[in-house]
Amino acid sequence: MANLSLKHIYKVYPNGTKAVNDFNMDIKDKEFIVFVGPSGCGKSTTLRMIAGLEKITYGELTIADEVVNSLEPKERDIAMVFQNYALYPHMTIYENIAFGLRTRKVNKKIIDEKVKEAAKTLGIEEYLYKKPKEMSGGQRQRVALGRAIVREPKVMLLDEPLSNLDAKLRTQMRSEIVKLHKKLNTTFIYVTHDQVEAMTMGTRIVVMKDGFVKQIDSPKNLYRYPSNKFVASFIGSPQMNFFNVTLKKQNNDVKVEFLNVKEEISIPFDKLVKIKPNFLDGTKEVVLGIRSENISLKKSSNSLKMKVSHVEELGNETLVYGDLDLNNDAIGDSPTKVIIKIPGFKEIEAGSIVDISLDFSFLHLFDKESEESILKRVPDNNYVNVEVKDNKLDLFGLEFNLPKAILLPSSSYEALIPLEAIKVKEGDKVKVKENEEVDEKYLLTLDINEHVLFALNEKKYQSVDISIDMSQITLLKDGKEVICPVERNNVFVGEFINKKIKDGKIKSHNEYYLKFLDEEFPSTDLITKKMCQAYDDRRVFHEKFSFSFRPSSIKISDSGVKGKVIKEMDYGNNKKYVTLKVKDHEIVVLDSKAKVDDEVYITFNIDEIGVTEIGRDIKVI
Amino acid sequence: MIIVNKLKKFIISIGRFFKEKFNGAKEIIKEGDNKVFASFFVMGLGQLLYKQWVKGFIYLAIQILFIVYFVLTGASDLFGLFTLGRKEGNEWYGIQGDNSIVMLIMGILSVIVIIFYIALYISNIKDCYKTQCAYDTLKKVNNFKDDVNNLLDKSFYKTALALPVVGVMVFSILPIVFMILIAFTNYGGDIVPPALVDWVGLANFKKILSLGQFAPTFFKIFGWNMLWAIMSTALNYFAGLGLALLLNKKCVKGKVIWRAFPILAYAIPGFITLLGFKFMFSYGGPINYYIALLGGEKIGFLGLNSKWIARFIGLGVNAWISIPSTMLLATGILSNINNDLYEAARVDGASAFRQFRKITLPYVIFATTPVLISQFIGNFNNFGIFYFLRGGLYSDGYFLASDTDLLINWLYNMSIDNNYYSVGAAISLVIFIITSIISLTVYVLSPAYRQEETFR
Amino acid sequence: MSKDKKRIKRRCKKTLDVIITYCILIIVAFIFFFPCLWLILASFSKSGSIYSFDGFFPKEYGLDAFITLFTDTVMYNYQRWFLNTLFIASCSCILGTLLTILTAYCMSRFRFKSRKAMMKTTLVLGMFPSFMGTIAVYLIMTQFHLVNQMWGLILIYSAQAPMGYMVQKGFFDTIPYSIDEAARIDGASNFEIFRKFILPMSKPMLVYTALTSFTWPWSDFILPKMLLQDKNLYTVAVGLMSLGETEFARFAAGSIIIAIPIIILYFCLVKYMINGMSAGAVKE
Repeated sequence: MANLSLKHIYKVYPNGTKAVNDFNMDIKDKEFIVFVGPSGCGKSTTLRMIAGLEKITYGELTIADEVVNSLEPKERDIAMVFQNYALYPHMTIYENIAFGLRTRKVNKKIIDEKVKEAAKTLGIEEYLYKKPKEMSGGQRQRVALGRAIVREPKVMLLDEPLSNLDAKLRTQMRSEIVKLHKKLNTTFIYVTHDQVEAMTMGTRIVVMKDGFVKQIDSPKNLYRYPSNKFVASFIGSPQMNFFNVTLKKQNNDVKVEFLNVKEEISIPFDKLVKIKPNFLDGTKEVVLGIRSENISLKKSSNSLKMKVSHVEELGNETLVYGDLDLNNDAIGDSPTKVIIKIPGFKEIEAGSIVDISLDFSFLHLFDKESEESILKRVPDNNYVNVEVKDNKLDLFGLEFNLPKAILLPSSSYEALIPLEAIKVKEGDKVKVKENEEVDEKYLLTLDINEHVLFALNEKKYQSVDISIDMSQITLLKDGKEVICPVERNNVFVGEFINKKIKDGKIKSHNEYYLKFLDEEFPSTDLITKKMCQAYDDRRVFHEKFSFSFRPSSIKISDSGVKGKVIKEMDYGNNKKYVTLKVKDHEIVVLDSKAKVDDEVYITFNIDEIGVTEIGRDIKVI
Repeated sequence: MIIVNKLKKFIISIGRFFKEKFNGAKEIIKEGDNKVFASFFVMGLGQLLYKQWVKGFIYLAIQILFIVYFVLTGASDLFGLFTLGRKEGNEWYGIQGDNSIVMLIMGILSVIVIIFYIALYISNIKDCYKTQCAYDTLKKVNNFKDDVNNLLDKSFYKTALALPVVGVMVFSILPIVFMILIAFTNYGGDIVPPALVDWVGLANFKKILSLGQFAPTFFKIFGWNMLWAIMSTALNYFAGLGLALLLNKKCVKGKVIWRAFPILAYAIPGFITLLGFKFMFSYGGPINYYIALLGGEKIGFLGLNSKWIARFIGLGVNAWISIPSTMLLATGILSNINNDLYEAARVDGASAFRQFRKITLPYVIFATTPVLISQFIGNFNNFGIFYFLRGGLYSDGYFLASDTDLLINWLYNMSIDNNYYSVGAAISLVIFIITSIISLTVYVLSPAYRQEETFR
Repeated sequence: MSKDKKRIKRRCKKTLDVIITYCILIIVAFIFFFPCLWLILASFSKSGSIYSFDGFFPKEYGLDAFITLFTDTVMYNYQRWFLNTLFIASCSCILGTLLTILTAYCMSRFRFKSRKAMMKTTLVLGMFPSFMGTIAVYLIMTQFHLVNQMWGLILIYSAQAPMGYMVQKGFFDTIPYSIDEAARIDGASNFEIFRKFILPMSKPMLVYTALTSFTWPWSDFILPKMLLQDKNLYTVAVGLMSLGETEFARFAAGSIIIAIPIIILYFCLVKYMINGMSAGAVKE
């Protein structure tokens, strides 16, 4: 009964392989989290690190707001269910369940009560005095569950508990575990390689691959908005169809050209507004994904031809397998194979050629190289073309004053405007086309003179006034950055050192410093503690780190490191930045007073530092 | 090839080991605080300065004990290992001389004690450094209770292995080191205490291989020894396997009873069996009784002139003793074979013989390779058989050995019965080198070794 | 017709196979049983010497050998030998089993730095001809005044026992690691895991280990012969070896008495034996 947080968790083996890579997650109380992924993706390792069976190489794990990295499993107040049940074969079921309580020296009467209660919950009362080997697989797993719940742990960990059971029993146990979760009101973390299990059980799912978290989201969102090709292909059955295509914008349509086969269709641009414009020039290869249920067997102006290879009738639905390449029969690894799911019975002859239409509302597009989605549900940026004229920014006819910091010749530019940079308030200048709820926020689709702009907001609106935080935008001219966002981190390479300060002949105490810019800055207790805890040996004093500070974490004051102001950037509304030159470094500081050519002193707010180990690229803080 | 690679790997790993140790030492010297250096000079002092009282005092006590030991006997024992005594005793004049052999043993013992002490000394520095690290990185500094708990949990292996390691050191390693060292001395013959023993280098090995006295005997015995090891291993292995297969047959009823007879033979202590057979084949024994009854001449089966007869009797008796254990092992392994394999084979129409050849045999041979090695070594060094059957005989053309003796028997005759200690030790080294090369090769090549880690 | 013939032929072949099988079994049984039977008969012979036998069979039967074994203790104090052997074997069995099991457990469950080195060392050490070291052992024992002391012998047996930990380690390797982990989560330390889980779960292995570490001292003769020179401290093996051909009946009787407990143990535990042996051997 507790929340859990994993911050920058790494598992690195002595030979350097990273089994788990920068795992970040906050788990709220009573959630049912499922880790899913193919074998070797690091899901079990993560679970075992939470359990304390495996050491966390780096990062911070907290259970109920207590850092538990160095605690033994028994001190973490967790319980775990194993794939092979791990029942103690020489003990009766009763003893198996009671063992954890006995080692914690719980009163015998209470143990008896609790064991009986757990047995009742799981329906294994009649077997209490039998040995595990007299029981079936399903019953054994119940005992394993009983052993876990009887201690009323803060967190229940389940490591593929159902994969040793047969299909029917698995389905049954699945719903029982879900019921158990509802009843116990405890945080559950469940590891499985079976996406169906994940989708049916979890309130949130963590999809992992090769040690990296690929996506964390609710089952529904995972299915509907996979953020990369891996998640798209892993979740859902039958697998999503993928085609290699190029996209080219032509007026209000986007022409989709299928590689491998000479086919093309055009999609209204409306459906693809969230896409980054540089993917729409007809040269970049992208992967188009569409689920089997979003393809229908009908002819339209935009339909494709497919050769049916075989058909599976499943009763309530029919799966049609085919290939866009009409000369290709091999269903195996063809890059143009298609699976279509249609409800009900439908008799289609193998070998026949049919027309298929895609439902454009359910398209997924991925970058061929990075496999990341380029049609995200919430895009990172608005990609728009703007005009600058007389220190004014023209965005589709709306005019914004540019701050003093941005001085540009009049011309047209490409702009990257992050969604957060667009502030909305109720008004009547801009119409809101759509309010889409995303993670307790709303994604607003704004319509500015027939152009689309996205913004995030807490509330929904019908029409709004907008303003833009100019300090966050990027402007490009001919592909070159002319204006970049000022809120960038100032990064320094340095070390963390400790000094022995002698108090007497033998007595001494430690002082800790961060060394960068050739200076030593006394560390704060908080940072010292975090740095020390991140390592279990003295390596912390030997590694090179990159320390980063946000502009607001650096202050100009009377003493400290000396620097010279070389640039002022005024964004209005009392938001003024200055760039300082300090020993070959250019540092951006949030400050309203300093003027160009001033000699100033700066101090760092150490508590707000960000630290990354350079050697193995590991985020420490 | 695999062996060469293994060797290469081994050498590299040794290099890496020393490099690691060196780097570790460098780190401690560079980073250690004055408390760690205090532990350099006085064991436990650093721990005491970090307020780890009990541990500190234990280390301190160890150092004091060691110094006392070293001053009282250790130093002179160690010195004695090199000199092996300088004062020759003489009963006539009542001079209490040096006993070289005792000095050798005590010298080795002192080396072992010093090794243990050095290990503890290093652990003391490491421990103090570890405490410093914990202190410097703001982690909990273990108190004595934590240390004890640690010894029962995370480092339980240290607690559990302490006794076995000491035992093996004193009763297995020390004797072996002693034996190896003896091979390089002139101990034996006339030179036994009170006479002083000396280091002679490789002289004993030269003697075995070149000198008229030892060399012919050595090569003759070695040849027979190899033949014996191969023949007896093969005989026992295949007979045992055959017996297990026979008992595994479906048509055999009352398997328990049939199996009981070999188990009976297995259970009887070996020396009883051997003495019993000696009586059976003795001059007045029952076999000769029947020969005489049939009008034949009594035969000295195990006598001086019956080279091959005695050898074959030895082979048979050894088989009688060893076949049952192979049979039990093979039975256990046979019961582990997945029955589906046979069913699949039967569906495919394979004959019984084919099933045996294609399924049973490969499986059993795979599973028993490690056992085969140990059986080969066991037979190579099978001391008991000929010691009991024909002990104390010396054949013509052999130096202190009979024509049935194995190397190990010869070794016994020479060193224990006839005081040729140093030559005996040299022979045992040769035996060791031969057996270890054979078994290490097979062991490294065997699937059992390679797959050890895949178990988890 | 031909079908019937074939069937008959096949049946004949089968019967022949059965007959041959049983013939071989009977011969094998005879080979293994007859020497034992001979010893048993010999022990019941009235006269002690082997020369007064009709071949394998004594001329007269009686319990004289057994009676003299326990009454005539001037020359050969069998009773003493037996008690000595029992004492030495039992003590070394308990200590040796404990040490072996502990060693095997550590080697199976812990991954510490010197583990591989230790495993290889024991393997190499096992290849030395063991009794060559006995001279050194003898000298060590004299130095510590443990010659002619039964405890000295027990010490050696138990200290050398852990060298043969491989079979036990093989067995422990087959116990799933998740049981240890479950127990750790339930709050048990490694010591408790060993005591409360591994030990009770490896009863067959315990029995096997105990049996092997009992029979070794029970039937060993080199070490006792060397270290126990006092006639009152003889073990049965050393004592029986000193009996000549004229004391054959007494030898047989003594042998039977010492063999019987072991035989009974073996028959009771044959299942464990088979499991133990193949657990150490089979590694897939």
